[in-house]
Amino acid sequence: MMTRFGLAISKNRKFLPLAATIFLFIIAYSFGAFSYAGMRDPQAFFTLFIITPFLLISAIGETFVVFTGGIDLSVSGVVALTATASAALLQAGVNPWIVFGLMLIMGMTLGAVMGTFIAYLKVHPWIATIAGMWFARGMCYIISDSEIRIYDPLYKLLAGTKILIPGLADVVTKKGAYITPLVVLSMTIFIIALFVAHFTKFGRTIYAIGGNGGANEQSARLMGLPVDRTKILVYTVNGLCSALAGIAYSIYVGSGHGSHATGFEMTVIAAVVIGGTMLTGGEGYMFGTLFGVLTTALIQMIIQFNGKLSSWWTSIAIGVLTLAFIGIQSLLVNINAKKISPTKLTDSDAAARKKKTALYGGIAAVVIIASSLIFYFVDKNAKNTAAANPTPTVTNCQLKPFRNDLAKQFIADGAVITYERNGGMDCIDELSALYPDGRIVSDNGTEKKEKTVTPDQINKVLTDINNMEWFTDNMYSTYHKPCDQCFHYNTTVVYQGKSKTVEAVDGGTDAPSEYWIMSGEITQLVPVFSK
Amino acid sequence: MKKFLSNFRFKKLVESKIFFPLIALAIILLFDLIVIPGFFKLEMKQGHLYGSFIDVLRNSVPIMILAIGMTLVIATGGIDISVGATMAIASSVACILINPTIIGLKLSQDISSLVGNSTYSFTPLWLVILVPLIVASLCGLWNGVLVTYGKIQPMVATLILMIAGRGIAQLITNAIKIIIFNDTYAYIGNGWIILPFSLYIAAFIFAIAWLITRKTSIGLFIEAVGANSRSSFFAGINAKRVKLFTYVFCGFCAGVAALVVSSSIRTSDANQIGLYMELDAILAVIFGGTSMDGGRFSLLASMIGALVIQATSTSTLALGVPASAIIAVKALVVVIVIILYSQQVQGFLRKIFGTNKQKEVKE
Repeated sequence: MMTRFGLAISKNRKFLPLAATIFLFIIAYSFGAFSYAGMRDPQAFFTLFIITPFLLISAIGETFVVFTGGIDLSVSGVVALTATASAALLQAGVNPWIVFGLMLIMGMTLGAVMGTFIAYLKVHPWIATIAGMWFARGMCYIISDSEIRIYDPLYKLLAGTKILIPGLADVVTKKGAYITPLVVLSMTIFIIALFVAHFTKFGRTIYAIGGNGGANEQSARLMGLPVDRTKILVYTVNGLCSALAGIAYSIYVGSGHGSHATGFEMTVIAAVVIGGTMLTGGEGYMFGTLFGVLTTALIQMIIQFNGKLSSWWTSIAIGVLTLAFIGIQSLLVNINAKKISPTKLTDSDAAARKKKTALYGGIAAVVIIASSLIFYFVDKNAKNTAAANPTPTVTNCQLKPFRNDLAKQFIADGAVITYERNGGMDCIDELSALYPDGRIVSDNGTEKKEKTVTPDQINKVLTDINNMEWFTDNMYSTYHKPCDQCFHYNTTVVYQGKSKTVEAVDGGTDAPSEYWIMSGEITQLVPVFSK
Repeated sequence: MKKFLSNFRFKKLVESKIFFPLIALAIILLFDLIVIPGFFKLEMKQGHLYGSFIDVLRNSVPIMILAIGMTLVIATGGIDISVGATMAIASSVACILINPTIIGLKLSQDISSLVGNSTYSFTPLWLVILVPLIVASLCGLWNGVLVTYGKIQPMVATLILMIAGRGIAQLITNAIKIIIFNDTYAYIGNGWIILPFSLYIAAFIFAIAWLITRKTSIGLFIEAVGANSRSSFFAGINAKRVKLFTYVFCGFCAGVAALVVSSSIRTSDANQIGLYMELDAILAVIFGGTSMDGGRFSLLASMIGALVIQATSTSTLALGVPASAIIAVKALVVVIVIILYSQQVQGFLRKIFGTNKQKEVKE
């Protein structure tokens, strides 16, 4: 039994990274489901897809590039540029479908130019695509220095529509597991990419170019494969994917600005690597990329559900995982190289191999010990801080319940909106009540502030909120235990005899995007407390 | 005879590595001379030399220092994209050593008495300088071990630290921006001895690197390993040790740059310190004519490359382009440079100047 198992593994060794990715995902998900009740909900699984459509689309394009042994760092720049440019065009009143078309053409052009530089001028992909990224980001700021919000109805429709999962959701009450149109889009692109990568001439050429430190590219050229053309095409495809990802991103976020998606390219590359694709090219599977993306999303989700861990653990965890996968792959490559070489394994080779195993083991052990030590000390520190008289900048905020009674009192007093913001770095607890006559009363627990705006402004906020379909099922509470230093919100709106309270958590990725537009509008009106 | 001599010298200058960076710098400075009034005006104020040009020099110090380390790494055929993250780690360590109270370690002092105290440092200052340098060198060592003994592609190996580095830096400082009040520490980045003090540090690091690479055989080894790793192995060079040295040195340089940056802005911002700095450093090295495939290098040319980058940023700023849009201009400069350095254009130039000699020993 064991020998047969071993034989199967050695025969299908190329599938090992892919299997490792899927295995890791299942293990991590089981761990999450075991530890946090919230993750046992089927919706938690679909949320993994809902929060990552742009990451998946981008990672698909990047996977093609990595297959050829190249790399594209311009994705984050193109995503930001697409979001900013489309927001600016929409603000100018251009039809959203024309905007989509223009953005796709722009992405492809940028990709094609970078590809030409790489293929014909023999520029290192790293340099050419960094230039592309800088150019795109710089252009964002030239278009607009400040954030441009998107109010287009089509964007709202695409962001807000819920596609219910049959069997897991109730059609009548519209409650239960759902996905968004963006998920459908990203999965469609994923299926097309699977087909292109593994069942077309183009896909096979891509595989043939990458790998073996550039030697394969030479062989591909000698075989008569169109190497240069394929390279340009690959970067063009990635440009297209980045533009699509940018559109998905702008739909998801609902605005455009040059600082959007900073560091996104590293997440994309990490997702590709965790998906089992080799950065030297020529090896890997498109299917793995899906699981790479899901795994990175899962890490975020677990850290969010944990609530005690700070957000930077995400980047550390992703870094460690990347390291692990690169380790697995380089081990496999070394073993394969040994198998191909005609010389028999001598004693010294065996000794060298032992040495190498020891080295890898040593590195792994150091990493694990170091990270657990850090973990331990951080935990201890956190406890110490909580115990010994804490400084205001250090402590994580103690969760305070919403002051619902006070809010009710305000509503009974005639307020149309009560807006409570709680938590954050400075541990605030501000409850504001907006009256139809323009009066705004804010209470942060210790002092009260009053401010008067015009009744029109209040009216505008109210109609805006109503237009956001506040009183329909599109606006729903998504309260869960927030992360440290996150804000949590409790908003009640009374309008034309209707009243509804919606709660949400900052940093939570599941709240309806309109909620943040609403909170932005109200924040502009309410008085500011000095710290 | 005389004509021949001058012609020969000109050819030699064209062939030398600092020719193109010098031309680029000259073009930018000429542009500044014409478009921006008072760019070269120098003033003496309280024994300090002030002026736009001095600003360019001063602001390019971190890139210069990084470029020195990066030149050696790239010369061996490697690359280190984690220097920015290493800077974040090193500066966090430095700031935490000066004021550990802030992360909630239980210490007897009262925090409020420390705010604004310009002499307070929890750890002796020589340790504050030394420990970050050691930590940064260790980061370099980690990269080097992965590249040489782990046989991982340099870009991939250093990618790991680049992804995880900022997380580690935030972990060290608990994601708090620590403000430094210590004046002695701030002197590193803010002090003046006629010229900015940090400029002397850059010169010092350059001198060390130059002595190591040009007065010992290490420079030759580095070029040999970069030009052809295999033949250097047959020549008896321990390529692994040479590569390891360059990565450690690159980490060390990142540590020095981190001290300069964090002391000049008097804070440790794990998210912002050294952000995109690795790209600037790599660009400076490429401006300096060192091939990404490794081989011959010139430290001086890389330094001039760093100056070119900073001069571009400063002059675009002076023209009134918003600071955030500078990267677009930088991108255009990169495009121009890669076109200038491409084989097609180089071949064309060689035809013009009539030299058929191969410029670089690449293959």
